[in-house]
Amino acid sequence: MQTKRTIFHNRWLPYLLLAPQLAITVIFFLWPAAQAVRQSFLREDAFGLKTEFVGLGNYLRLFSDPSYLNAFQVTAVFAVSVAALSMGLALLLAVAVDRVLRANQSYTTLLVWPYAVAPAVAGVLWWFLFNPTIGILPYALEQLGYDWNHNLDGTDAMILVVIAASWKQISYNFLFFVAGLQAIPQSLREAAAIDGAGPVERFFTVVFPLLSPTTFFLLVINVTYTMFETFAVIDAATEGGPSQATNILVYKVYRDGFVSLNLGSSAAQSVILMFIVIALTFVQFRWIERRVQY
Amino acid sequence: MARIDLDSVRKIYPGGVEAVKGVDLPIEDGGFVVLVGPSGCGKSTLLRMIAGLETISDGEIRIGGRRVNDAEPADRDIAMVFQNYALYPHMSVRQNLSYGLRNRRMARDEIARRVEETARILEIDAFLDRRPKALSGGQRQRVAMGRAIVREPAAFLFDEPLSNLDAKLRVQMRGEIKQLQRRLGTTSVYVTHDQLEAMTLADTLVVLNGGRIEQAGRPLDLYRHPDTTFVASFLGSPAMNLLSARVSGGDLRVGSLPLAARLPVPDGPVTAGLRPEAFRLLPDSTSGAFRLDYVEELGSTRLLHGHLEGQRLVCQMGIEHPLADRMTLDLDPEALHVFDAERGRRLDTAWQRAQIRSLA
Amino acid sequence: MVENRPLLTLLAHLALIAGVAVVAFPVYLAFVASTHPSSAFLSGTLPLVPGDHMGETYSRMLFSGVSTSGAPPLWLMMTNSLIMALSIAIGKIAISILSAFAIVYFRFPCRALAFWMIFVTLMLPVEVRIVPTFEVVANLGMLDTYAGLSIPLIASATATFLFRQFFLTVPDELVEAARIDGAGPMRFFRDMLLPLSRTNMAALFVILFIYGWNQYLWPLLVTTDESQYTIVMGIKRLANVADADPQWNNVMATVILAMVPPVLVVIGMQKLFVKGLVEQEK
Ligand SMILES: Nc1ncnc2c1ncn2[C@@H]1O[C@H](COP(=O)(O)OP(=O)(O)OP(=O)(O)O)[C@@H](O)[C@H]1O
Ligand SMILES: [Mg+2]
Repeated sequence: MQTKRTIFHNRWLPYLLLAPQLAITVIFFLWPAAQAVRQSFLREDAFGLKTEFVGLGNYLRLFSDPSYLNAFQVTAVFAVSVAALSMGLALLLAVAVDRVLRANQSYTTLLVWPYAVAPAVAGVLWWFLFNPTIGILPYALEQLGYDWNHNLDGTDAMILVVIAASWKQISYNFLFFVAGLQAIPQSLREAAAIDGAGPVERFFTVVFPLLSPTTFFLLVINVTYTMFETFAVIDAATEGGPSQATNILVYKVYRDGFVSLNLGSSAAQSVILMFIVIALTFVQFRWIERRVQY
Repeated sequence: MARIDLDSVRKIYPGGVEAVKGVDLPIEDGGFVVLVGPSGCGKSTLLRMIAGLETISDGEIRIGGRRVNDAEPADRDIAMVFQNYALYPHMSVRQNLSYGLRNRRMARDEIARRVEETARILEIDAFLDRRPKALSGGQRQRVAMGRAIVREPAAFLFDEPLSNLDAKLRVQMRGEIKQLQRRLGTTSVYVTHDQLEAMTLADTLVVLNGGRIEQAGRPLDLYRHPDTTFVASFLGSPAMNLLSARVSGGDLRVGSLPLAARLPVPDGPVTAGLRPEAFRLLPDSTSGAFRLDYVEELGSTRLLHGHLEGQRLVCQMGIEHPLADRMTLDLDPEALHVFDAERGRRLDTAWQRAQIRSLA
Repeated sequence: MVENRPLLTLLAHLALIAGVAVVAFPVYLAFVASTHPSSAFLSGTLPLVPGDHMGETYSRMLFSGVSTSGAPPLWLMMTNSLIMALSIAIGKIAISILSAFAIVYFRFPCRALAFWMIFVTLMLPVEVRIVPTFEVVANLGMLDTYAGLSIPLIASATATFLFRQFFLTVPDELVEAARIDGAGPMRFFRDMLLPLSRTNMAALFVILFIYGWNQYLWPLLVTTDESQYTIVMGIKRLANVADADPQWNNVMATVILAMVPPVLVVIGMQKLFVKGLVEQEK
């Protein structure tokens, strides 16, 4: 690990400086994580009087539980849809902004502010827009002959949360795509233009391949975002329903732990989620390693 | 003001690199010592050990007679000028100058007085309230000098302070540093890899090579009597010609060409050193041993590049001298240096009166 | 631009205008809804232009709240949100810059261990350790306190790495000059690193303020007392009135008020924000 050529010599000061961060890390991160692991091997009886060690029992039960497997599937559909929708639109807008020289600062301003909107607020906004009785979108869809009701129809509900979650994420992806586009040397595009490539061809043969690191990075970030930070979107818009059609993994951990008080199962789910985050973090860091020399 | 003494100082970096391998160097009070040598020879390391920025692996450093091996940089009463100046970017010039004094809890009016005085000496009064970013390279260099002077330390340490300036400014600042040091009389240690800077600034010139002192002394002594081929080739530009030669029965020959006779040197292979400006070439189209390859015009002089007995040879001569494809050497007895072929050490210095034949 | 193609440029403008419209559309409707009286929604259709009840609705929501759904006045929730957001942002910056300083400028036993412990927090978002973390906070008696709302969230690997990355770019000679000028570690930190980190801190502050303000799950868990509600979690309580249609005007006024502060921060400090965001990901 890199340090300075010149450093300070002090026996206790570095520990003192690290103390607050490490204290919080241990008390609120490591200890609870360890508890989750411990609890995932235990099962409480209905009254919380007795706990017994069940080994991998909680895990085995989870993987034979259709509602858990359903949550996995729902999460995958949700994550892929959000990533595709928000990244696709963001890339389109970024390419457009990159093309207009003047006014691109104003467009950027007008496009980035949703980043600041809380996921919970995004969920409520779209829940309102799609409200079957009052919402404007079901009204419009009705004119087209579609009967929207996300309270009854699982697909409608999924579309609702995908749109709400993507809407908020576009600005983030947009900023990174713009930064990625700006990092492509103008000379490369000029060279391609001289070689006779038109704008569309140039995009697919020069620009997009050079954007692939950004795209890959955003993919990981978006998957992480949809898996964890969209808890509030789900809670505000559908509460996981109807009949678990939008019950993503994180939401299920919360419901099983706090609403159904099924602690052993909730802990086992937490541990599985931890493994998923660890995997995602490693993928992300492999990408970073290529960009940053330590 | 103080003297500085280095006693068998060594530096072994973590990881095992031995950057300084036992250096003894007494520095007189008020002396100006220049450390010179190729990149990686340990100049900066040595200087930074004096400053207290690197620990001393072995040996002892004394400043003003006091052992400072374990003293903090701030307690060594030294000031340092860095190659990149290391000015505090968020502070004005005035704050840059006064920072060290404020940390020493000096009285305000004394700080103000010293800052004014320093600014006047260095002619930086006009931009005392500017940030370093708003200064030119030369002005930054002056501020860096000012930050050292204002402290009135026992010694100045310079680590290539001029190498970020353009050539013209470098020459000018070189002169100013020399004058300033004379005037203040502060003991100074100066690191550079520019031999010209080293020659012009030093009272004592120290040539370092691979972590050891190769030779130390007055600049002209080193130039005239280099102890080793390393020093010989390092000082002077263009560098000294070093030719493989052989001595038998006191006669020195390069290839088949005799250069000198009756040298008090044992038989065997040697290296013959010839400063480019220390001999002349005379046109001799039939028997001249020097084959001229090409000529570089420098204005008042020119460089003649060519071969002598298959070895490269450079000669510096006035432009009035005639040229030819083949030429003979006209050699001054003082001009020939003879070194051990293997270790590169000077073989004998008492032979200067020996006969030199200008032949060929 | 490589060549001049007015048609493509026009297309780009059209795409951008459409994008801006889509992005703004929900917020516009929410705003419109917040300016109509609640009776306007009974017809089952949504008005599309602002009404004239804006002042009334907003002042009611801000200062008296809606007693039927048990919501305190919004100014109280917004104050709570502000306190939480500021504590999280300032707390994260403070402890991260100190740890980065320790890791970069000192060498000590367990340095790598400390680094990895901080790194690990990246892999443990609150969502995956909800129950046990809640238990810890409950056992420490921190439920319904500002400390409980903010402290568990202020460990930050990303902020620490950001500062570390920045410190590594500070030239070594600067430390050396400061040491020769008699500055010890804490003085160097105060006189050099803090002022030099100002832009980084400001950029990070923007990101973290938004992060703190937008917290939802955590306040939902640790607050039970209405006086501790934050506005983002409060929206849900308003929207979920049992067995009745929500008071759309009230809910949407809350939505607007919940997003105005962070959105203003982003727009007002766009440059810093973009810098902070792009650099946070190293
Ligand atoms: N921190 C370090 N760790 C290990 N080795 C080092 C370190 N600093 C320098 N060295 C090594 O020590 C030797 C001397 O380095 P030093 O910086 O003193 O050279 P120098 O003479 O100042 O060269 P230059 O003219 O390039 O500045 C070099 O071989 C270098 O690689
Ligand atoms: Mg050096």
